[in-house]
Amino acid sequence: MMGERQLVQFRKRWQRIMYLECLCYALGFGALAYLVSWNALVAVAVFVLSFSVALYFYKPWNLQMESAVAYIDAHVPEAAYSSGLLAMSTEELSDLSKLQQHKVYSQLRTILPKLSPPHKLIISISVMLGLVLIGFAIHYGLKTYGNPLLEPSTERRIQFTPLDTLSSTVKAPELKKTSITVNYPNYTNLTTLKTANPNISAVVGSMVTWILVFEGEVTSIDMERMGDVFALSKVNGQYTLSQKVEASGFYSFNFKDEEGNAYTTDLYSLEAIKDIPPMIEVDELPQYSYFEYDDPKEIPLKVKTTDDFGVDDMYIVATVSKGSGESVKFREETIRFEGTFSKGDKELELRKQLDLHQLGMDPGDELYFYVEALDNKVPNANVSRSETYFAVIRDTVSDGFAVEGTLGVDLMPDYFRSQRQLIIDTEKLIKDHPNLSEYQFKFKSNELGFDQKSLRLKYGQFMGDEAEMQAAPGAVSNMESDDHDHEEGEEDILEGYSHKHDSDNEHNLVPEQEHEEEGGEEAEDPLHEYLHNHDDPEESTLFEKSLKDKLREALNIMWDAELYLRLYEPENSLPYQYKALELIQEIKNSARIYVHRIGFDPPPIKEEKRLTGDIKAITNYDKKEQFEHTMSFASTRQAISRLELLSLGKTTFKETDRALFQEAGNELAKKAVEEPLKYLKVLQGLRDLERVDARTSEKFREVQKSLLSVIDEVEGNPSKKADLQDEINRLYLKELGSYD
Amino acid sequence: MIDGTIFLNWKFFWPFLVGSLLLWGIFVWKEWPQRKERRFWVKLVVSFIGIASLLVMALRPTHQKETLLGRGILLTEGRRPEQLDSLKAIFKRIKTENYVPGKTLVLLETTDSLFVLGHGVEPFDMWQLTDKSISFLGGKAPEGLVDLWYEEALLLGEELSIKVRYANPKTGHWLILKDPGGNGLDSIPLEDSPEQYVELQTKPKASGQFTYSLVEKDAEGSFVGNESLPVIVISREYLHILMVNNFPTFETKYLKNFLAENGHSVLARTQLTKDRFKFEYFNRGVSPIYQFTPKALEGFDLIIMDTDSYLGLGSSSKAALEETIREQGTGLFIQPNASFFKLSQRQSPFQFQLDGRTDITFGEANRNLKKYPYAFQDKFPLQHIILDSVEIAAYMPIEKGKMATSVLQDTYHLILKGKQDLYAKLWTQLLNEVVRQQEVQTQWQALTDVPRKDQPFEFQLRTHLEGPQVETDQGTGIPLLQDFSVSTLWNGTRYPRSTGWNHLQLSTDSLSRFSYYVFDTNERKAVTQKNVLEANIRKFGQHEGFGKAKSSTSKDHVPISSLWFFVPFVLCMGWLWLEPKLFQ
Repeated sequence: MMGERQLVQFRKRWQRIMYLECLCYALGFGALAYLVSWNALVAVAVFVLSFSVALYFYKPWNLQMESAVAYIDAHVPEAAYSSGLLAMSTEELSDLSKLQQHKVYSQLRTILPKLSPPHKLIISISVMLGLVLIGFAIHYGLKTYGNPLLEPSTERRIQFTPLDTLSSTVKAPELKKTSITVNYPNYTNLTTLKTANPNISAVVGSMVTWILVFEGEVTSIDMERMGDVFALSKVNGQYTLSQKVEASGFYSFNFKDEEGNAYTTDLYSLEAIKDIPPMIEVDELPQYSYFEYDDPKEIPLKVKTTDDFGVDDMYIVATVSKGSGESVKFREETIRFEGTFSKGDKELELRKQLDLHQLGMDPGDELYFYVEALDNKVPNANVSRSETYFAVIRDTVSDGFAVEGTLGVDLMPDYFRSQRQLIIDTEKLIKDHPNLSEYQFKFKSNELGFDQKSLRLKYGQFMGDEAEMQAAPGAVSNMESDDHDHEEGEEDILEGYSHKHDSDNEHNLVPEQEHEEEGGEEAEDPLHEYLHNHDDPEESTLFEKSLKDKLREALNIMWDAELYLRLYEPENSLPYQYKALELIQEIKNSARIYVHRIGFDPPPIKEEKRLTGDIKAITNYDKKEQFEHTMSFASTRQAISRLELLSLGKTTFKETDRALFQEAGNELAKKAVEEPLKYLKVLQGLRDLERVDARTSEKFREVQKSLLSVIDEVEGNPSKKADLQDEINRLYLKELGSYD
Repeated sequence: MIDGTIFLNWKFFWPFLVGSLLLWGIFVWKEWPQRKERRFWVKLVVSFIGIASLLVMALRPTHQKETLLGRGILLTEGRRPEQLDSLKAIFKRIKTENYVPGKTLVLLETTDSLFVLGHGVEPFDMWQLTDKSISFLGGKAPEGLVDLWYEEALLLGEELSIKVRYANPKTGHWLILKDPGGNGLDSIPLEDSPEQYVELQTKPKASGQFTYSLVEKDAEGSFVGNESLPVIVISREYLHILMVNNFPTFETKYLKNFLAENGHSVLARTQLTKDRFKFEYFNRGVSPIYQFTPKALEGFDLIIMDTDSYLGLGSSSKAALEETIREQGTGLFIQPNASFFKLSQRQSPFQFQLDGRTDITFGEANRNLKKYPYAFQDKFPLQHIILDSVEIAAYMPIEKGKMATSVLQDTYHLILKGKQDLYAKLWTQLLNEVVRQQEVQTQWQALTDVPRKDQPFEFQLRTHLEGPQVETDQGTGIPLLQDFSVSTLWNGTRYPRSTGWNHLQLSTDSLSRFSYYVFDTNERKAVTQKNVLEANIRKFGQHEGFGKAKSSTSKDHVPISSLWFFVPFVLCMGWLWLEPKLFQ
């Protein structure tokens, strides 16, 4: 076994080097991860991962003795391709081999410990260094060229700049420490935020506390926020101020040093985030639910509510209306959901099986209900409510339609009633069939078909349909077109056979002549007065969507009814007519409008005072009112004019200008709350003008330009112009002559 | 001839004379030993003549001579080189001079008939050419912005509309209107055509003196030229308004609210019943008006009345109202009703004709309004009030004041439709025309179209003041010339020292300040060229050919040739040199 120890050592050395290489790669990736993420955990994870990957590829523990022997044979001539003999025990070898083993051992004994195993250490170390360099490059690159909005490096701290050029040798006080604490309202369950970044966004109602520590003496430090000034109080050498966030805005700090030099900061934003009201979703419930008297009258209600900070309460508000016409009565009640829920959950999902019987509803009654949810905002919770849903138990008794006296507009014209009349006529025709001649029967059936058609056409007009009149699928073509062309003429022929039930004047309430006039008007557009005429039938707002669908369905059924009448099969037509009647009744009922009756009882008139013309008791009436009128952006407009003079060098900057620019800034700050980005530049420009070194012609121009670009045009307001009335002009105008 | 002799170097007469006498004295002293001899006296005489000749030579005597004057060519800006070439071909060795505005023309000394090439001489230099025979031949037509029209002084809220005539525009170029800060407001592309009329509009946002600018850029967006547009925006003033109604209407209610909320002082009187009124005082003290008297109406800038109130006025009230309009300049606006359009000429100065249109549209289709189906019948001196090129009302000037009415119906519908801005615009436009003008003591008017630095700026001043005195903002007085026939009209001239805004004011009243804008040399070039060209054509007429420029003579002082004195001097000196050699 001579020399085996050395061979083993060589192999171990080789393995160690392989481990080292793996470590180099792992270190390199780990460092890169740390520099990019700046997070130790990530770095360690990446390190472990890359180390195991490298080990997996290298497999140093798998290095065989044969590889070592092969390497030695290939690289050491002295080994004479026999170094493998060293690993073998002497006993196993032949004599010649023993001789060779001995020879090789004596040769290699000195060489082997110095022989370095094959390695790529240089490559792995350079890869490691390269990765570290890349890491540094990314780290600093991000910092330098990073998105300024994401990383406002200059805005992260409060910085003061002197307002005037410094007149003293005293060292300017320096802001040593800034600490801004945002205490969110309790109900939000948000933890307190501590930051040095003066651009704050906080929930409405949050308390913001600024703590400023200065090096050097500071007198009178205050915060200016939207035109109001708040002084900071000094506690233990720290200046503190607490403010409640109510509305978005801007703020800045000003202070004076011992010498009276003023310093100011840039404008910082204070964004108030509003608490959003809860969002209510009602799952799969049609807006209208209809129940027959014998249906199970239950409505499954499943409501999901989400809120940004938590839902406090949720319930159903149901209103039951009983009765009809003027005797309608309403009853409102609040219904809790099934089960309990914990207050303050951000998401709630509740169910309720609404039982109409339990609500005391009888056939003919209607239920309107909606879901109301409150969030946990204090002191006043945000309330939101869902859409209103309707549930109706159909009445079994009366489904008649009457226009209420209180209704200003009679939406339902008379010809809605005639489907019933048609049914009666059809039934009569069927009954009389045996007594009638073939011709008479067919004639009457066709007549009824025509009546059905004209009824359908009139309904079609309600849909805003003109196409319906021209061509219709499945129409009986010849007769149809004839009818169409000679509608008026046919009407005359029919006179002998019918009672004009389809006319407006069903009950002969008005003389015939008037009817004709009305008919003429109707031909144009009977609903002109009541419709927003958008030309598009889909846009017509007379009926809501579901009603339109129903009406469309009714029209289609009327087609069929008419078809069978025209085919002289009134028996087949009858079911369709009933169906149509039913639909029309439904439409009429759902279009019902209830208006509260408003009573007015005039005071009794004293008979002896009536018509005497005595107005002694009536006096003149005086009313005096004062309006404070200021133009929009009055100070800003004045500032623009002032800046023009300043930029031309016609005048010098005065103390009044400072006040004017501040006032203009306050005006714009109110606007800036809505669009901070648009106004921030101009507000900053106005503030810059407070500094003496910024008062240059270019700066004045620049500020004027941005002011002009943000303000609106002036509103119209009459005014008078200056004019000189010259004697000559007056003489001329006099000579022009007056009119009389 | 002797009378006409003058010495050119007369100012040196005394030193030269003393020097000469001194020289002669030395000579006499040198020759004094020979005083007993005759030649001494001869020398004395000869030396006197020699020194006298020298003296005269130094003093340069002249004599008057009649000379014949010739033709000359005056070259001004914008001339065509071909014109000059052909003139030179006809008149060999003709004198030319380049015209420099404001400089005395040297050419005029030797010429009496001139060809003027180019756009001509500035109007303020024309005096130099009086008594001369001028052939004005004209030059190239000016190119660029040759005409610019806009209201230089306007009320805040009024629209600034700039109309431009552009000669020879280039395709791809743009005209851009910019505000004083440099924000673009309006722009218009130029087209390839001999002449283009364009209009740009904006609404000034603040009152004061501003310089808007009209920038020309080429297709690539690079700068071509810039014209300053000086604008004075006058701040608005609140009005005193009286509203008289027989019956409360929504129209009045909304108009009253609009005016009151905009800060005007409004007194609204609505009749309740016989001799009982409802008075509403907005932004003013309580002072009811029952009877119309000139004294009661005096304070109002505008009276708004409905038709019934107007027709129901008693004779004394009506007389008082008319007197107020006539004398005080108060405006009267009558809110029409249907019967108003049928009134006879005796009852109302307005006459209408049925036009059947009951709808009026401003610009877009949804900006519409109901109107009575009548249109104003044109009748002198009726003046129309127009908004967005739609006639909304009209007024009759009645001496100082105005009486107006409208054909619009129920304008408050605009407010109900949410178009407050259009409502405000409509009534602003309408009432601005009708209200009483504020009377001022002085009114200024610039006569010079384009004032320039160091060039005369002529202005007119109308004032009721006796002997007004005008001074610049540096305090320099400007002499005024009173108009011969109109005693309130004064003329003056000022030579501005700097470009930009300049001011003039009455020394007694610093409030009556007049601001005018002095343009840089690069600005309004084409406008000036056009003005000069027109002025020259007016003055000299335009000659197509070379007119008969007649010649005449002129008397002039010509220096006498020095040879006349040099020869005696040399002879004398020669004699004095030769004489001792001859007689010794």
